[in-house]
Amino acid sequence: MLSLSFTLAEPETFALWEKILLAALIIASAALFWRRFGVVLDRILKSKKDPGFHLGNLGLRVWDFVSEVIMQSKVIKQRPLPGLAHALVFWGFCAFALVTLNHLASGFGVGFLSPVGTFGRFYFWLAAVFALACAAGILGLFLRRFFVRPRWLGKKLSYESGFIAFLIFALMITYLAAFFTTDDTPAARTLWWAHTLCLLTFLPIIPHTKHLHLVLSPATVFLSREGFSAIPPLVGDEDFGLVAGQDLTQIVSLQAYSCVECGRCSEHCPATNTGKILNPKEIILGVRAYLNDIGPRTEEPLLGKYNSQEAVFQCTTCGSCEFQCPVGIEHLPILVGLRRGAVNTGTWEDDYGAKLFNQLERGSNALGIGAAERDKFIQKEALPIFDGSQEYCLWLGCMGGYDPKGREIVAAFARVMRHLGTSFGVLRKEKCTGDPVRRLGNDLVFQQLAEANLEILAQSKVKKIVTICPHCVRTIQEDWKAYGTPPPIEHHSEFLARYADRLPKQSPDHETIAFHDPCYLGRYRNVYDEPRAVAATAGKVIDPPRARERSFCCGAGGGLVFLGEETGERVSQVRAKELVDTGATTIGTACPFCNSMFRDALGASNEPAPQLLDIAQLVARSLPTDQHSSPESLKK
Amino acid sequence: MKIIVAIKQVPERDAQVRIDSGGKWIEEADVQFGMNESDAYALEEGLQLKEKHGGEVVVLSAGPERVGTTIREALAKGADRAIHVNADNLHALDALAVARILAEAIKPESPDLVLTGLQSDDIGLGQTGVILAELLGMPHASLILTVEKTDSGLKVKRELEGGWFQNIEMPLPAVLTIQSGGNKLRYATLMGIKRAKTKEVRRVDAPQSAGAPSSLLDGISVPKKQRSTQMIDGDARQAAATLVEKLKFEARIL
Repeated sequence: MLSLSFTLAEPETFALWEKILLAALIIASAALFWRRFGVVLDRILKSKKDPGFHLGNLGLRVWDFVSEVIMQSKVIKQRPLPGLAHALVFWGFCAFALVTLNHLASGFGVGFLSPVGTFGRFYFWLAAVFALACAAGILGLFLRRFFVRPRWLGKKLSYESGFIAFLIFALMITYLAAFFTTDDTPAARTLWWAHTLCLLTFLPIIPHTKHLHLVLSPATVFLSREGFSAIPPLVGDEDFGLVAGQDLTQIVSLQAYSCVECGRCSEHCPATNTGKILNPKEIILGVRAYLNDIGPRTEEPLLGKYNSQEAVFQCTTCGSCEFQCPVGIEHLPILVGLRRGAVNTGTWEDDYGAKLFNQLERGSNALGIGAAERDKFIQKEALPIFDGSQEYCLWLGCMGGYDPKGREIVAAFARVMRHLGTSFGVLRKEKCTGDPVRRLGNDLVFQQLAEANLEILAQSKVKKIVTICPHCVRTIQEDWKAYGTPPPIEHHSEFLARYADRLPKQSPDHETIAFHDPCYLGRYRNVYDEPRAVAATAGKVIDPPRARERSFCCGAGGGLVFLGEETGERVSQVRAKELVDTGATTIGTACPFCNSMFRDALGASNEPAPQLLDIAQLVARSLPTDQHSSPESLKK
Repeated sequence: MKIIVAIKQVPERDAQVRIDSGGKWIEEADVQFGMNESDAYALEEGLQLKEKHGGEVVVLSAGPERVGTTIREALAKGADRAIHVNADNLHALDALAVARILAEAIKPESPDLVLTGLQSDDIGLGQTGVILAELLGMPHASLILTVEKTDSGLKVKRELEGGWFQNIEMPLPAVLTIQSGGNKLRYATLMGIKRAKTKEVRRVDAPQSAGAPSSLLDGISVPKKQRSTQMIDGDARQAAATLVEKLKFEARIL
């Protein structure tokens, strides 16, 4: 009989056999849950302790937890529609926690929420609203997975996901339907048991499927490492990175089991999108498969059957995977960790890689050019030598000191600094910061370079550094910390943005500038507005389709610029085309590596190319010519 | 096969050298030292032969304390042990004297093969390896790009001028001086460096009576900068003709 009282109907009494059956089912369900979850937990806990990890900065952790888990900020922001659908399901589950407890308790006659009490009525109604939203959400997700079928979810239809969706939907419907019947009708009893069965079927499925993320990912988000792409220290004489199972740490294992296989990482990966074999999702699932089959604390190599070395070395370390991941997986420490394992033990054999390492074991720069060439450039541009009296040390970096286009950027930036009256000097000697070897996993050469540079900076009494290269910024500021205390450093976009009102101003219709966010400035340093503010002094700044946090890599990072030919499409050409297609007259960059990659990509195309300029060049172009202080104009 | 690789530590190629007050050597405090390039290729060849045929690679280096870093680098790349001959002022000795020092250290080891770079990046005499062969009473071949072990000895490929090569079969034991570029150099690894800590480095003193030097170093000098710019006048056709002439007969690059 249909009641229109809209009060949640519950069977009034339960027979003894019902109570016994319920107890048996709960015990069976919990046991099946634990049979798998206990194993997973054991593998995570048996993994190595994380060196360098400490549960500091609790405020930030709580904030991240509230934002990413409770508010579902990443889930929604990076995929608004399915993200919202997911959030509705998640919030529905949260609201349901109390309802579910009460539901099972009521089966034993100890229910604590009364459908007719004030709070009970209020809460059941509230939960009903959530249930409605949750049902709508799961229906949406079901339609997406089985009918829209975005390719990031994989080619194979996951029937297990379909079953889960059905269970969640059924849970909500059996709850909502109980509002349309009255206590002690057969319908109420049937609904109650249907709800119970769904619930107790759902529980053991969780640890057996990717729905493990329900349990693990809140912990994963809360226990993430501090900072983006935080590469853990190597400890002791036998730690060479991720070589074998014994090197997998608790955090890595926790993350591997948390993966929900949503494919956001693959969707944004420059390697996956250009026909390489690397797929960040598969890397994480490879680690998980390894843990399932072989387990932690073993000596079986991690690279080989479960993950391919070739894939690992196709990563540009652009970090879009780590940035996107809604369950807190940090892909970069894992990818770089696997590279460290291969390089630090010498198992990675690559002619280009070996050449780069040999060059940096001996020489000063990644381009393999004699240091005398840097001196010549400094003389030609009449760059002052840093002697401790100037405010800034202008760090040239390999590109700024040796690459022809990089030099143009340095020269332009130096002109702007002179125009602003900022005192600066360059170091007589500089070595590569070690960025490419750090990302390729060569800890030996990285340490040598970091230590040598830290000594040079200390001897020169450098207090502040500014540079045109985001890779230098990141490596000096974050990665060198393992070996000393680097002076504060900033990127020239940050420096220039502070003086934006003193830079020459062009009208916005002067030209349209499509700005490309460098990975190491954006995702690694969270600097998005500053380079735009600088570029805006030269014209109208527009964004390509993938911009800011979702910027698509130029293909140079992770040491890949030094590793010869790519398989598949070239990342640089894909990105360059996207930039050209904006119709902008100028492509604006803020990284000499991006600049170099796009220069080559634009040169390889037959289409008429827009001009390609660094933000420093965009500014320097409009400086009054009488203020030129370049040596050529001084001679005139 | 027991292989000895003789390695010299030389100023890094990037080094800005200054001549010391004596005028016969450079200010060592200014510069960083590293492994002589062709010696690095000799080491690579030795390591590859060991990997293929088994045996042992022993690194030999003569010089002051600083040579230790280069020895460690060689051990890190895979050499099994090292002999460090303590010797100062090697730069004041001629190739014969240096070869005698090395030969004394090599003899008790009775190696099957001695490898060294064809010349040093600093003084560049190119004689030490060859004299060493004479002192050890072994056959030698110079300018070697590749080495292959056969049942009876070695097959080696020498680099000649003008893109020509010479293939030689020779018996063992032997001395080879290795040309740069024949192999691809492996990189040093963290694991290698850590393992190198436990490898044996035997230190011996250089024999006192190296004999009277056969030649004396008079002095060294920094090359003078020679760069001249010539402006070619005339119209394009004339200027091009003059340019071709000059490239052919003065610069001799056409």
